[in-house]
Amino acid sequence: MTHDLKFWNRSPERDDSRRDFLARLGFALAASAVASCSRAPVQKAIPFLNKPEEVTPGVASWYATTCAGCAAACPLLVKTRDGRPIKIEGNAESVRFGGGTCAAGQATVLSLYDPNRLRGPLWHGEPASWSEIDARVKPQVAAASRRGIVLLSGTIVSPSTRALIAEWSARFPRFRHVVYDAVSFSALREATHACFGVAAVPHYRFDRAKTVVGIEADFLGTWLSPVEFTRQYADRRREGLSSGGVQHHQFESGVSLTGSNADRRVAIAASEQGAVALALLHRIAADARVAEPLPRVEVAIDDRAIDRAADDLWRDRGRSLVVCGSDDPSTQVVVHAINTLLGNIGVTVDLDAPSLQRQGDDAAVEELIESMNRGDVQVLMTYGVNPLYDFPDAERFARGMESVALSISFADRADETANASHAVCPDHHFLEAWGDAEPIAGSFSLAQPTVAPLFDTRAAQDSLLEWLGKPPDFYSYVREFWRRELFPRQDRSRTFDEFWDRALHDGVYDDSAPRVERRYALAEGWRAAAGAIAADHQRAVSARGPDRYELRLHETVAIRDGRHANNPWLQELPDPVTKLTWGNSIAIAPSVARSIGVATGDVVRVVAGDRSCELPAYVQPGQSPSTVSIALGYGRDGAGKVGNGIGANAFPFVSASAARRAYLRTGVALQRTGRHRELALTQTHHSIEGRSIIRSITLDELLNERSEPAPERPSLWPEREGGEHRWGMAVDLNTCTGCSACVTACQAENNVPVVGPDEVTRSREMHWIRIDRYYDGADDDPGVSFQPMMCQHCQNAPCETVCPVLATVHSSDGINQQIYNRCIGTRYCENNCPYKVRRFNWFQYAGNDRFDFTMNDPLERMVLNPDVVVRSRGVMEKCSLCVQRIQAEKLSAKQEGRTLEDGRIKTACQQACPASAIVFGDLNDPNSEVARLRRSRRHYHVLDELGTRPNVGYLMRVKNAPRGEPEPL
Amino acid sequence: MSSTAIPSLRPVPALRPSARPVAGDAGDAALREITDDVMRPLVTRPGAGWWACFAASTIALTIGVAMVAYEIATGIGVWGLNRTVGWAFDITNFVFWIGIGHAGTLISAILLLLRQRWRTAISRSAEAMTIFAVMCAALFPLIHMGRPWLAFWVMPYPNSRGPLWVNFRSPLLWDVFAINTYLTISLVFWYLGMIPDFATMRDRTTAPVRRFAYSVLSLGWNGSARTWSRYETATTLLAGLATPLVISVHSIVSMDFATSVLPGWHTTLFPPYFVAGAVFSGFGMVMTLLIIVRAVMHLERYITAAHLEAMGKIMLLTGSIVGFAYATELFNAWYSHNVYERYAFLNRLAGPYAWCFWIMVGCNALAPQVLWLRRARRSVPLLFVLSILVNVGMWFERFVIIVTSLHRSYLPSSWTMYRPTIVEVGTLAGSFGLFFTCFLLFIRVLPMIAMWEIKAGAGRAAERRA
Repeated sequence: MTHDLKFWNRSPERDDSRRDFLARLGFALAASAVASCSRAPVQKAIPFLNKPEEVTPGVASWYATTCAGCAAACPLLVKTRDGRPIKIEGNAESVRFGGGTCAAGQATVLSLYDPNRLRGPLWHGEPASWSEIDARVKPQVAAASRRGIVLLSGTIVSPSTRALIAEWSARFPRFRHVVYDAVSFSALREATHACFGVAAVPHYRFDRAKTVVGIEADFLGTWLSPVEFTRQYADRRREGLSSGGVQHHQFESGVSLTGSNADRRVAIAASEQGAVALALLHRIAADARVAEPLPRVEVAIDDRAIDRAADDLWRDRGRSLVVCGSDDPSTQVVVHAINTLLGNIGVTVDLDAPSLQRQGDDAAVEELIESMNRGDVQVLMTYGVNPLYDFPDAERFARGMESVALSISFADRADETANASHAVCPDHHFLEAWGDAEPIAGSFSLAQPTVAPLFDTRAAQDSLLEWLGKPPDFYSYVREFWRRELFPRQDRSRTFDEFWDRALHDGVYDDSAPRVERRYALAEGWRAAAGAIAADHQRAVSARGPDRYELRLHETVAIRDGRHANNPWLQELPDPVTKLTWGNSIAIAPSVARSIGVATGDVVRVVAGDRSCELPAYVQPGQSPSTVSIALGYGRDGAGKVGNGIGANAFPFVSASAARRAYLRTGVALQRTGRHRELALTQTHHSIEGRSIIRSITLDELLNERSEPAPERPSLWPEREGGEHRWGMAVDLNTCTGCSACVTACQAENNVPVVGPDEVTRSREMHWIRIDRYYDGADDDPGVSFQPMMCQHCQNAPCETVCPVLATVHSSDGINQQIYNRCIGTRYCENNCPYKVRRFNWFQYAGNDRFDFTMNDPLERMVLNPDVVVRSRGVMEKCSLCVQRIQAEKLSAKQEGRTLEDGRIKTACQQACPASAIVFGDLNDPNSEVARLRRSRRHYHVLDELGTRPNVGYLMRVKNAPRGEPEPL
Repeated sequence: MSSTAIPSLRPVPALRPSARPVAGDAGDAALREITDDVMRPLVTRPGAGWWACFAASTIALTIGVAMVAYEIATGIGVWGLNRTVGWAFDITNFVFWIGIGHAGTLISAILLLLRQRWRTAISRSAEAMTIFAVMCAALFPLIHMGRPWLAFWVMPYPNSRGPLWVNFRSPLLWDVFAINTYLTISLVFWYLGMIPDFATMRDRTTAPVRRFAYSVLSLGWNGSARTWSRYETATTLLAGLATPLVISVHSIVSMDFATSVLPGWHTTLFPPYFVAGAVFSGFGMVMTLLIIVRAVMHLERYITAAHLEAMGKIMLLTGSIVGFAYATELFNAWYSHNVYERYAFLNRLAGPYAWCFWIMVGCNALAPQVLWLRRARRSVPLLFVLSILVNVGMWFERFVIIVTSLHRSYLPSSWTMYRPTIVEVGTLAGSFGLFFTCFLLFIRVLPMIAMWEIKAGAGRAAERRA
C-alpha cells in the first residue's frame, strides 16, 4: 500500500501546507476580484449656462399646430422634450376634429427626423446656398413676361399662403396657380359647382345622419377627412345605443376600412358606381314623387340591397347622407340629386361652410402639361406635389418639364420630381414652420414651429416672398393676414396681440361671424348626368368579357398617395383590412383566385392597355369578382432608403383624359407568372373559428333585456391585495373602426422598434397593440370585425407565474409590469400568454445597421421618448398601459396637491383614437368612466373562461337589423 | 487485490469470442479475462472505425459550437422562432436529451435496488450516457435565453437588491433545481461506481501520468473488506437517492408544459406520460449505443442477447404506456367538449404538422408492438432499427407537443407557422456531436463495463456452482 501513499506524502520542510494553500487561495480570490472591478464609463453632463425659458430638462412643452400629413389639416398638439418634438396628439380644443389623429398623422413626427431630407438647397443637383439660388431665380421670374410662371401645388388649405399666391397673381400677369391632387376630387368639385354654384367639396356631417350610404368612398380610412368623419361616425354610433340605431350601407368593389364597418356591404364592379347611384335615384325619385322618368340601368347586384338602402334613406330623409368617391362628375351630380331630394342639403351636406381640403383641378393640370409641352411655361414651381411619380402619364409631364426654362421644386427630399428640377429649395417640415389652415370654411387653425429648423431649409412661403421682392418672413405675413382678415371679425379679444396669443395657445379659431344659410335648389343638369351614366354603363358592360376584369386603384391608410413611403412606422403599419405591410398587392376575389389558380403570394401580372405591372396576389374575401384592387403609393424610387423599391407603382394605371383622371380601368387582364413571393402579413389566419372572442349584441337585447353580468368564476388563486388604484381599460368594439391610429401612437410613445419586411414575414413584428381582423360568413360576402388587442393586464396573469427570474410581476395598482433589466429572455411568458400580446427582441434593433429604420441614425433617434427605455436584445416587452404617463400624472398631482381626476391620464392609444373607442381609468373609482363601462350590459372579457381576470375589458358590438328583417349573423 | 510486484502490461492475445457468455449470472471465466476484455479498449490504439466515428462527431460538435456562438453573438432571431412560437427546437432538444438520460439512472439505480443482476453489464455505459445526455440537455436552457450571460440570475443567491429572490412558482426554476440535482447525483453515483475499477487500472498501469491520474481517481482504494462493506452501503444509499430522480426530474420537466394554460399542454397527464416517455427514449438510445459498441468492441459475451431482450421488454412496456397516453389525450380532448382543446388535437392529427404527429405515433406506439414476438426481441438488427425509430419518434413527440400547441392557440389572429433555420438544425447536430464525442472518448478512456460488478457476479455464480 505504500505506493499509494507516497503521492500523498508531503516533504518534511513543508508542513504549513494547509495554511499555504489557504493563503494562496485568498490571494487569488482577492486578486481576481480587484482585477474584475471596473469603473463605470464616464458620461459628461453639461448644464445650461443660461437656461432657455421654455426648456426644462425632463419637462415637456406642448405646442399647438396643424398637421400636414394630408390635406385634411387636422389640428394637433405636439409634445416637445428638450426642444424637440417627440409625440403628436390631436388638439382636443377643436370642436370638429376632436383630440384624435390618424396613423399617418402620428407618424409625421418621425418624418421630421428622416435622414433622407435634404440638408440644403440644390442647384442642378449640387449643393448651393440660398443666396445663389435667389440670385438665379429672381432674374428668371422677373424676366418671365412673355412665357408663364406656374405654381403647381397640392391643395393649399392655408389662407395666408393663398393670399401670398394671390399677390403673385397680382404682380405677375402671366402667373397662374394650378392645384394638383394625386388622388383627385375634381369630379366632386365640378359636380358641386354645376349643381349648386359652390366650387368646392361639401363638408359632410356624419354625426347628423341616421342613415349613411357610401358608394366607393372610404370616408373612415382615406377619403377627404377621415379623422373628422370617424369622430362623427363614432359619436353617431354611441348615440345609437340609446336611441334607434344608425344604418350604414356601403357599395364598393374592394373591401375598405369603411366597408368593413358597414352594417350592409355590397360588392359592386368598379364601373358600377354610377349605376348604383342611378338606381338609388330612381327609387328616391319615386318616393319623392318626381314626375318624369329617368333612364334605367341594369345593375348586376341584388335589387334588394338597393331597395333596402333606398328605404332607409327615405325613412331618414333629412337626416341621411349619400357620399360617393367616384371620379365621374355625372355620378357625383346624381348623388347630389339624391341628397337634395332627401332634403339633406344644409343638414348633413354643408355647402355654406364647405370643405377646402381638396381643391385639385384635373382639367387645369392637363392644360398645364399641354402648355409646358408647347413651351409656354418659363418657370415651374412644384410645391407639395410629385407628378413625376404620381401623375399617370409621368413621361409626358417629364417631357413638358424639359421645355421649362427654370423648374423649382420645394420638395423636402430628392424625390422623383425634384431630381428633374433645376433647383430644389427644400421646404421646412411642417413641425418647423409657421403657417395657418382653414380646412373647413370658417374653421381656422394655426401652425407654429415646434423646433428650430434642423437643416438649412427655408419655408416655401419665405422663398415665394423673397422672389416677390418682399422680406422673407412668413411669420410676419401670417400675423399680418390674421390682423387684417380675422381679427376684425371677432369681438372676444380687444387687442390683436391678445387675439394672436390666444389663437396660438388654443391652436384653433372658429370664425364666429354669423353663417349665411342659403337655400340650394338642384340645377337641371342632373337628368343629363343620369343619361351620361347610363351610356357609360353600357360601355363598361360591353368591355366586360371572360378573363377581363376591372381594376380599382385606392389609397391605403398608411402610405396614402405615396408621400409617406419613406416612413418606417407607416410601412410597417399593417393595413387594417389586409394586414399587409411593406408593399402592395393585387386584391382578388376568392372565386376568381380559384378559377385562375392563384393563391395569396403568387405573383400576377396585371395588364391594362399598354400599362402593366407585377404584384403578388392577395385573396380578399368580399372582393367583387369582377374587379381587382391595387393600392397606390408604392413603387417609388425617390422616397429614400426605406421606401425605395417597396411594392409597385400603380399610378400609371390611372387614366388621364383632357377632362379628368379616373381611378378605375376596365378590360384588364391577369396573367400568372408562376413566381411566388411571401407577403409580409401580420395576420395570416382570418377565421375566428367559432370562438366567442368578439361578441355582439343586438339593439333589442341591449335596450330591452335586463340581465345581470355573469358572476366571476371561482378562482384557486387568493384575491390579490389591491392598492389605491386599479388601472383598467375598456375598448368599445362598437365604435372602433380598425383605423390603427393607436398602433402608430403606441409605437411613437413607447419606442417600439421597426423590424423590416423580412422579420414581419417571420411573424416578428413588435407592435404592442394590434388590431385583429376576422372574417365570418361566406367568402364572397363576409362580415368583418376588428378587435384591438394589447396586454390585458390580468389579475391572474399566466405570464407572471412562469417567469423564473420575476421579470414580470403585478403591481399593486393592477398593472402587469415587465422589468426589462431583469429579463433573461426565456420566453416562457410569451408562450403562456393566451392573448399572445408579448413581444420579444429577437435581435438588437437599436444601433444596428441591419435594422436601419428608426433607431440607427442619430437623427432618427431624436424621436425616441426619453421616458421609456429602449430595450436591448433578448428582452421581452409589451404594453405597459403607458405607465410613464400614469407616473407623470401621479407625480404632477402630488406636486400640485390635488387628487387624480378621471380622464387626466390618457394612454397613447386612447389619446390617438379618433373614435374615442378606448377608455382608460381607475377601476377602483366607481365614478370613473371605465368603471361605469365595466358595469355595462355590453362589457365582457376576452377568454374569461380561462380565469385570467383581465383589467382590460371590451364592449360588445351592437348589430343593427333593418326593421322587419332577421338579425344578421 | 494487488500483489507487491506491480504487474506490467502484458500483451493481450487476440480476442476469441467465447461461446459461453461471461455475464454475472451465467458462466464463469477467469476474472483476469474480464479485466483484460474490458480494459482492452483503454490500452490499445483505436481502430479506423473509432476514428471515423470520432471524426464525424467532432465535426458535428464543431458545427454546433459555431452555430451556438453565432446565435449568442447575434440573437435568438437567427432561429426560426417568432411572436407566437417561443420555443421549438431548443426546448424539444432539452426535453429529448433529459429523457434519454433517464434510462441510465433507471438501470443504475432502480434495477440495483430491485436486485436485477443482469443490469451490471450495461449499467456503467448507461450511466455515462446519462451524464452526457444531461450535459447536452443543460446546454439548451442556457443558450435559449435571450441574455444567456445573465443565466446565473436563476440561482437564488444572496444579493443586495432587496434581496431579490427568484420565482419559486416557476416551473423553469424547478427545472434548474431538478437538472442540477440530477446532474450532481448522477455524476457522483457514476464516479463512485468506478472507484474499484480505477483501482484496478491503477494497479495495472505503469505509465506515470496515467498512474497518477488513476491513483487520484481511486481515492486510495485498498480493497479491504471494510472498504467494500462501506462501499456497498454508499452505493445503495446513492441508488436510493437517485431512484426518485427518475420520476421527479422528468415530472418537473413536464410541468414546464403542464402548468401552463395552453391547450395541448395543460393536462395532469403529463408527469407520468413524460416519465414513461423518458424511460422509453432512454432505453432506445441505450439500445442503439450498446448494439454498436458490443459489435465494435467485441463485448458480446458481456452484453448478451438476453440483456438486449430485457431492454426490449422495458421498451415495449414504456412504449405501450406512451401509446396509451396518446389515446388518453385524444379521448380527453373529445370528451371535454372544450373547443380549444378539441382544436388543438384536431390540428395535431390533420393540421400542417400532422406528418410529425403520425411519425410520432408510428414510431412510438405502433413500431414497438413488434416486440411481443420473442423472435423480434432476440433479433439484434431489428432491435437496432427499432431503437433508431424510437429516438426519432420521441424527438418528434416533443416537437409535436411544443410546436403544435404554440403555433395555434387561443386567438386565431396570432396563428402562424414555424420553420427551423439551419442554425437550429446545426445546433441539434452539435448536441449529437457533443454526446457522441463524449461517449466515444468515454469508451476509450474509462472502463465501459463495471468490472468489479461483473467479477462479483462471476464470483457469486462460481460460489453457487461450488
